[in-house]
Amino acid sequence: MTSSPTDTLPKPAPAHGGQVPPSRRSQSRVHARRRRPLKPAQVVSRVLLGALLVVQVYPLVWILLTAVRDDADFASHGAFGLPQSFTLDNFARAFEQGDLGRNIVNSLVVTLGASALIVVCGMMGAYAIQVLGFRGSRVVRALFLVGIIVPVQVALVPLFVDYAKVGLLDTHLSMIIPLAGFSLPMSLYLFMSFFQYIPQEIYDAASIDGAGPTAIFARITLPMSVNTIVTVVMINSIFIWNDFVFGNTFVLSEELKTVPLGLQNYIGAMGKTDWTATFAAVCVTVTPLLLVFLVLNRAMMYGLESGATKG
Amino acid sequence: MLPYRSRLSVVGFLLPPLLLFGGAVLLPIVQSVYLSLFSWDGITDREFVGLENYRHMVGGDPTFWTSFTNQLGYLAVCLVLQLGGALLVASLLLTITRGREVVKVLYLLPAVISTVAIGLLFQRIYSYDPVGLLNGVLDDLGLGSLSRPWLSDVHTVLAAVSAPEGWRFVGLYTIIVYAALLAVPRELEEAARLDGANAWQVFTKIRFPYIRPVWVTTTIMATTFALRGFDIPYLLTNGGPGQASELVTTYMYKTAFTSTNYGYASAMSVFIVLECLVAVGLISLLLNRKAVR
Repeated sequence: MTSSPTDTLPKPAPAHGGQVPPSRRSQSRVHARRRRPLKPAQVVSRVLLGALLVVQVYPLVWILLTAVRDDADFASHGAFGLPQSFTLDNFARAFEQGDLGRNIVNSLVVTLGASALIVVCGMMGAYAIQVLGFRGSRVVRALFLVGIIVPVQVALVPLFVDYAKVGLLDTHLSMIIPLAGFSLPMSLYLFMSFFQYIPQEIYDAASIDGAGPTAIFARITLPMSVNTIVTVVMINSIFIWNDFVFGNTFVLSEELKTVPLGLQNYIGAMGKTDWTATFAAVCVTVTPLLLVFLVLNRAMMYGLESGATKG
Repeated sequence: MLPYRSRLSVVGFLLPPLLLFGGAVLLPIVQSVYLSLFSWDGITDREFVGLENYRHMVGGDPTFWTSFTNQLGYLAVCLVLQLGGALLVASLLLTITRGREVVKVLYLLPAVISTVAIGLLFQRIYSYDPVGLLNGVLDDLGLGSLSRPWLSDVHTVLAAVSAPEGWRFVGLYTIIVYAALLAVPRELEEAARLDGANAWQVFTKIRFPYIRPVWVTTTIMATTFALRGFDIPYLLTNGGPGQASELVTTYMYKTAFTSTNYGYASAMSVFIVLECLVAVGLISLLLNRKAVR
């Protein structure tokens, strides 16, 4: 399965800008083809692509449009059409009704905690399996595969019972542990596939200079992995930030609720749901994530593509 | 492999990940199997009942079977939208010459949004009174007779709670399939075209066989994700109206945390695990065998 376009890169594939080839290659073709008029098939595929793009993106635009409308405008309007009014009151009400600030802090704590665990544990595990190597490493590899296949629901009841026993219910840790545990296999596999690219000669040279496994890990593997760490953190933090099921199960008190749980409170909080304020709240919670994603999407795309194609 | 390594260093590096993974994933799986053999409400003493929970699940609980068929429906909708959509969009992407990267990013946007936000969004999209996005579009197209309260109509509710999940991840699978399609050697396609193959033949005879390994991975991903689908149905309808959109996952959740029947819920979660394992086995068997032929 050496079919990924990034495979052609000679060295450890950098996470950023990992895929230059497609656009480059096609660009030179553009100029040759530009002068000819479009074939009907091309027109059809463009229209289709555009229509599907509307389906994917318009609901999100709609959130934004609704968030800046006043109530009357929202009620009187159909699906399309630009807002007739512009107001930021909805945002004020959103902050009044909910506890968005605290929710965001909680989400940050959980996301940072779990990401740190995933990166540290993922790197250590991948280093032990891929670089150090040991008898039975294939068994350990297969064991981690279980975590990718098995659905998270299986852990809910046992963890709830265990947490109740040791007093972990209703803590940040109760969310961090399972989120990190279930994301660990994927990041471990990503780190392993990256470690393959670090040439054996580097390790040999370091060993001759007298460096032990720990020193090599700290001085060679770790500094070389920065791009992969960014990829792993990007992919996982989106899933962790958006987690609903663990938080909903293990956290009961308002002070610990993360963003998704806080958003849930908007449904019918005042008897009748205040939709424009709710959409303002959705907007506030979604925008930072979207911005981070738009800025760093290359790192993430690289992880998704190589993760799946290298299996 | 490092030339100098001690057993201690291997253990040292392996222990933290194994502890985390064991504690959060492996141990709970074992515990689920164990708990599924008991009747337990979490407060009184556990009572060992052997396989009674499983017998009840398979033989004496029509709700379970309803939820299982619903889950299959949910799976079907997700697979068609995600895999079909991904293949279509990825193929279309190959035909355009510029802006591919931007289109990919835009398609992936819904995957970045939390399920709760998506739940809120689709609650409004499906809304009947006041008129939501979907019914509004139908009205505008002159198809007003089709508009209905999608989430409280028993005939449409299952499709309505499945579609958002499908919609959410189209972009994810598009990116994977697109990366695979890019790797198909151009020479092969050109050669086929020179031999007079049309676009459809190029696709079925060259492109698709070439990306089959990736396709297997993608199908497995989409299937196991859909079999564990929970958030959006739970948030949108919580299984209702009646049991029209009840999935095994939401039924299990309610059994565990509303009726606090931990034993029976554990049996169901073991069932979900088995379901995923069987699905993975079947997919790799079916798709890989075709490749050999």
